[in-house]
Amino acid sequence: MSTNDAVLVILAMALVTYATRAGGLWLVGFMPMSPRLEAFLRYLAGAVLVAIVVPATVRGGAAAFVAVGTTLLAVLLMRRALPAMALGILAAALYRGYAGV
Amino acid sequence: MAQSPESHRGGAVLTLDGVRRGALAMGPVLIPIFVFGAAFGIAARGAGLEGWAAALMSAVVFAGASQFAVLDLWQTPVPWVPLLLATFAINARHLLLGASLRMLTRGLAAWKRYAAMLVLSDLNWAALIAAEARGERDLGYLVGGGLAMWVVWLGATVLGAVAGGLTLADVQRYGLDLVLVVFFTTTLVGLHRKRIDDLPWLVAGLAALAAVWWLPPNWHVLVGGLAGGIAGLIQHGRRP
Repeated sequence: MSTNDAVLVILAMALVTYATRAGGLWLVGFMPMSPRLEAFLRYLAGAVLVAIVVPATVRGGAAAFVAVGTTLLAVLLMRRALPAMALGILAAALYRGYAGV
Repeated sequence: MAQSPESHRGGAVLTLDGVRRGALAMGPVLIPIFVFGAAFGIAARGAGLEGWAAALMSAVVFAGASQFAVLDLWQTPVPWVPLLLATFAINARHLLLGASLRMLTRGLAAWKRYAAMLVLSDLNWAALIAAEARGERDLGYLVGGGLAMWVVWLGATVLGAVAGGLTLADVQRYGLDLVLVVFFTTTLVGLHRKRIDDLPWLVAGLAALAAVWWLPPNWHVLVGGLAGGIAGLIQHGRRP
């Protein structure tokens, strides 16, 4: 790929990506604010997070289940995110060590 | 935990202190971002990009999954349509993230809102949403988190493009791939509202999995998020 093409491709990618970043906020701005829309956006936030975590866990295999399960349990018990993350990673590392994967 | 919508009525702000808080909240995930950024720099060189092109892409595109994806399409003549379609498809989930920030951008000047969206990404968005449930109302939180990620992502790309030698397998060996998943997991817990969220979240999870199995790659966040949001809306309409 020539230098010119490379610059053009990268700038076009940047434009498309920014359109996705700004587009959601822009589009939702046309909808009149209502309790229904507010409720929908609130559900949307949680649902997006679930839609990130669940497939990542399933595709990550057993070690990901160990990591996510341990983190979930730890954060429910301790209510603190950082130590819970550390425990989750540690548990997955131990599991990988034992299972030899 | 999650607060009533009324708490939003004050309108949003964007302050330097919020930027600082947001940057600090990113601490633990900056390590995997660094490693993935370095891996991108290496992979980009492997795919035939010059170092400066890899750095430019990390600086202005700043969206890891799509950057990795286009490396396969880095050919002459340029496959414009597949390349830009892939970029859009992989990043389309941002549309939902941005839409969900409606309440947190209310009353802010348009240039501030749309400048903040320059650094919108899953991780700093999740951090902001989690902090919002604890009372955060500062869009600077998103900006600070995004800027911290941007600096690390760009720096790591440059290092990777120059140094080389690291592979994605190394990333997995140290469990760094899992840091991102457990980070999202912790943000979920603070957001969960008893009973109210159970059904929408179940729908979101199942729809996302169905999308992974039956749709082309990278649509699962969009599909799962929309399905869960709509399920929530239907449930909302039925509750007294």
